[in-house]
Amino acid sequence: MDETNEQVQLKHTPSSTFAKEIEQEPGGEGIMKCIQCGMCTASCMVARMTERYRPRKLIQKILLGKREEVLNSELPWLCMTCRLCEERCQEDVDLAEIFHAVREVAAREGYIPSVFQNTIDKVLEDGWLLKDSYTDFEEDDRDDLGLETDLGWNNEFTKKLKKRYFAGGDAK
Amino acid sequence: MKEFAYYTGCTTPVRLPGYEAAVKVVLEKFGIILNPMKDVNCCGAQYVESVSHVAFMAMSGRILAIAEQMGMDVLAICGACSGSLKMVKHELDRDSELRDEVNAILEEEGLKYTGKSKVKHLLQVFREDIGYNAVEAAIIRPYNGIRLAAHYGCHVTRPPEIVQVDDPENPTIIDRLIEIAGGTAVDYTGKTRCCGGPMLAMDEEVANKIGIDKINNIRAENVEGIVTACVFCDIQLTQIQFGGDAGEAEKIPVITLPQLLGPALGIDFDTLGISLTKISPQKILEAHQ
Repeated sequence: MDETNEQVQLKHTPSSTFAKEIEQEPGGEGIMKCIQCGMCTASCMVARMTERYRPRKLIQKILLGKREEVLNSELPWLCMTCRLCEERCQEDVDLAEIFHAVREVAAREGYIPSVFQNTIDKVLEDGWLLKDSYTDFEEDDRDDLGLETDLGWNNEFTKKLKKRYFAGGDAK
Repeated sequence: MKEFAYYTGCTTPVRLPGYEAAVKVVLEKFGIILNPMKDVNCCGAQYVESVSHVAFMAMSGRILAIAEQMGMDVLAICGACSGSLKMVKHELDRDSELRDEVNAILEEEGLKYTGKSKVKHLLQVFREDIGYNAVEAAIIRPYNGIRLAAHYGCHVTRPPEIVQVDDPENPTIIDRLIEIAGGTAVDYTGKTRCCGGPMLAMDEEVANKIGIDKINNIRAENVEGIVTACVFCDIQLTQIQFGGDAGEAEKIPVITLPQLLGPALGIDFDTLGISLTKISPQKILEAHQ
């Protein structure tokens, strides 16, 4: 057997059906490249501050096919997407992108943290994040600085997106 | 003379209008005109981005299409916005199927994404469009060596192959500008680590721990101020110093890069919105030679 060729062909195992499912999602393409070295967890500020979250273990759960456990947990939502781990990953695994892919699958099946759901509802309804926080005080500050006080956000487009891609506020 | 479509995002206009104003007046000093973007929407960062890839592409894609209609590149001053716009541009430029899907929606209002408009974060404009020499030549009231720590923002500098702003592990743009303005740029442990801001939604306690860790690392270097280039980082590094975890230590002023450069360029405090800064940076900004 041609050893060099075999190394090129090498796919890290185990690769579960769930891992293959994530691999098909936008952003999830690189999951099979993970060699479970743990550099991500070593770089992760969230992991440093709480025992609940270990990016390497989360990737491992996906590779092992713990589908329900992963989708039904807060874990994929605890990544800050700061990408410090990606900078240090020797295999070029895009963890933030992979966890986005997992979130999208979870959201489709109704597992979405309420704080995310509420904010998404607001953004799609108002077109932007802070409509409720924009009061006379902020308007006065802007006026003093010579800035436009009518922020002119468009929400027709986001409402259209809601209809097209989100059924009843849940991701379709 | 260079012009940009100025995308200020959701948060800056409400929470940090001084930053918005300072960017405009400082860039004007260097002959760069910023045109406000009308009728835009949120870029979709973090929230929509997490649950619908295609809706996220459409939200940022629409902003880019409006910039194309204006015939200009986009300037973004928030890490989340600049990161999103660049990620989406990267994908739409490479995936014709996705581009067609987004364009089918944009077409209904006469917009089209072709990829013509580039996206720049503020730091790139200083490095690429203005240049360090021009900034140096314009400094009329240099600082007297005050010690300042740069915080770059994760989404401003990563992923580097897409955002193309600075070295992700050893960024230097803010540091160089601090030095050019007469300050002393101070390194500290964990300089490229996150401020904790993106964690606020899921776990405020963890977010605060991450932020305080950063403040403590900066404090250990006897720094008199923190210089930022992202609205979320600026707000997070400010507000954690008012929280219960902050302890009794004196608060370190947090200020955006154009608000630091402004006074050294001879721009007055009122125009730069300095009085709106939550931890007064007066001491730093008056420390001229």
